[in-house]
Amino acid sequence: MGETVAAVVLLAALAVLAAGAAAFDASLAAGRVAIGDPLREAARLLVTQRRRTLLPDAPLRRIGVSGLPLVAVLAAAVLPMGEHAVADLPVGVVWFNGMEVGVWGALWLIGWSVNSVYPLVGGYRFLAQGLAYELPHMFALISAALGAGSLRVADVVAAQRGLWFAVWMPVAFAVYLISALAMAFWGPMNQAVGPDVAGGVPAELSGPDRLVFQAGRYTLLTVASAAAVPLFLGGGAGPALPPWSWTLVKTVAVLALLVWAGHRLPTIRMDRFMAATWLVLIPAVLLQILVVGIVVL
Amino acid sequence: MDVSGRLLRYAAGRPRPLVVTAPHATGVRLLAEAEIGRRGWRPAEAPAGASLLVVCGIPEDALARAVRTVWHQIAAPKAFVPLSPDRTAEAVAAELDAAVSRLADARAQREEAVRVPYGEPRGRDGGGRGGAEHHGDEGHGGHEHDMGRPGGVRMAERGPDRDGLALDRLHVPLGPVLPYWPAGLVVETTLQGDVIQEAEVRIAGGAAGAHGARAGATRFWDEPWLAARAGWPVTRGAAARRTAGAQLDSLARLLATAGWAGAAAEARRLRDRVLGEGPREEVVRRYDRFARRVGRSRLLRWMLHDLGAIDAPGGTDVPGWARGDVLDRTRHRLAGTAAALAVLDDRSPLDDEEGPRGPVGGHPSEALLAVLPGLLTGAELAAARLIVASLDPDLDQVRPGRVTAHG
Repeated sequence: MGETVAAVVLLAALAVLAAGAAAFDASLAAGRVAIGDPLREAARLLVTQRRRTLLPDAPLRRIGVSGLPLVAVLAAAVLPMGEHAVADLPVGVVWFNGMEVGVWGALWLIGWSVNSVYPLVGGYRFLAQGLAYELPHMFALISAALGAGSLRVADVVAAQRGLWFAVWMPVAFAVYLISALAMAFWGPMNQAVGPDVAGGVPAELSGPDRLVFQAGRYTLLTVASAAAVPLFLGGGAGPALPPWSWTLVKTVAVLALLVWAGHRLPTIRMDRFMAATWLVLIPAVLLQILVVGIVVL
Repeated sequence: MDVSGRLLRYAAGRPRPLVVTAPHATGVRLLAEAEIGRRGWRPAEAPAGASLLVVCGIPEDALARAVRTVWHQIAAPKAFVPLSPDRTAEAVAAELDAAVSRLADARAQREEAVRVPYGEPRGRDGGGRGGAEHHGDEGHGGHEHDMGRPGGVRMAERGPDRDGLALDRLHVPLGPVLPYWPAGLVVETTLQGDVIQEAEVRIAGGAAGAHGARAGATRFWDEPWLAARAGWPVTRGAAARRTAGAQLDSLARLLATAGWAGAAAEARRLRDRVLGEGPREEVVRRYDRFARRVGRSRLLRWMLHDLGAIDAPGGTDVPGWARGDVLDRTRHRLAGTAAALAVLDDRSPLDDEEGPRGPVGGHPSEALLAVLPGLLTGAELAAARLIVASLDPDLDQVRPGRVTAHG
């Protein structure tokens, strides 16, 4: 019973936050307050015909499109909303990582299944992006887990009672934020859906398919922001307010930062970024793990 | 209760326009873009995401066919907005209003959706979207040994790629319907993965036909110089406004292609302000802030350097500003805008030939198109888009029959 309620609360919270992110994004794009635009866009897509391409692989497309919001929600299940998560797994950090890798599958399946050049190129691009961001991302997660001595997300929060991990693991936190952008293919990491390939992966999606894809993308960005809170920003800890409201405040802050960054920065191309990630990010975050390991000892 | 009808009417106020521009319609494109920006409508990047097809100018030949294909690819509810080149700002706004009410007309939209069997896919190479149709299969070779044509599409051929692997080759036209892309340009590419192995430049839209030479074939960006040459009194300030507008227009395309939506939007707003006779002080102040932000961006520098380098010192008629790489050209455009903004109020008569893209009489865009295939061969798609955007050839300048460049 309690878990059902928690799951419903989680879904509602994700929906509201994702819609908020879409509204903020629309306002930044339009240069004025445009809170109603995402709702109107959703209404438009609901009454728009579904597009068919030549010789598509329809089952794969459906798996990909519906998989995107699904993995986002599943990844969120281990994140504590106040004090408790929907699923407080002993390997929560690994679960989060595993679900989020499902995005690779979803984007590739969509890009491949519609049998069209630009989505296919977008799919390729996301795989290259995965090769670039996933290792630093995993090491950043491991830094937090190592600092807490546990893979349970609740333990990671408990270990930050004295000091937030973002403060004494700044490199891991910074790498996490970059990889959060990358996993949600957002802002500077949006090459898979870039304007230079006519929108990339979702270029052939219309109607409800496009709606589910867009909703999934904003949900993913929300979940990536929300995960930064228990992993690096002390979870629900804070003065005066109850834990759930601190979790919410911190999530909104990270989410707003990521959405804003998307309008402030140009796209990073993986042919240039790959060298930087392997030569700079990975060594830097490995050093971070070394420092964390020494401190924990 | 008619739920879908209500949703349709609710959504109609926020359409997603896909803007297609024919050659010799730059003026009406600027009006359409400005009006769309003022309404806060977000442009679509592909037909699948669009609900309005805004066609600026009069498409001919290949472009007209591409527009028909794209219209067919847009899912209902949808509206078609043809804007002839002589439309005023008020007329453009009225056309867009009329399109919104057509989108909100649930009955007409349903009839249209039933009448036209939507989304019957038509055979084209690789299922590629792009909007351009293929003129049969001639010229590309490799289909003597026909291995079957699933869905009416040729199977991809194989060929060695730059890493010595045998990869599929796809024939994909870039343009003419592509966001932030020069009006009327088509680059026929042979792609392996996302690397361009061969590139060939074509013009879609009639500039190469007999119509290109007729009196209506305006060259919006070169107008002040052409008018001065014809004896009209033109001030240096008026020409500088046009130059600044042209540079900002090109910068907006480059920044949008580079994925920097915020800076691209500011470049477009500045462009509209300077062309709309905005006062110098205000434009300069806003421009300085914009130029500082763009000029200082390390990320942009990191992404643009060493792309599409043109180093030929003489021997070609490529204008001087095009030398160097994409980053050099970006800096040149920023400097060129600043220089033009400095003389906006100059009332002395115009007596030079230096248009935004080089000497007006020299048709510099023809030289740009001539070097394009060489620059694109071997480039990845993302780099290719940036190279094209950095050169931003103006097809209004191209004389009929002057272009088909191979690489």
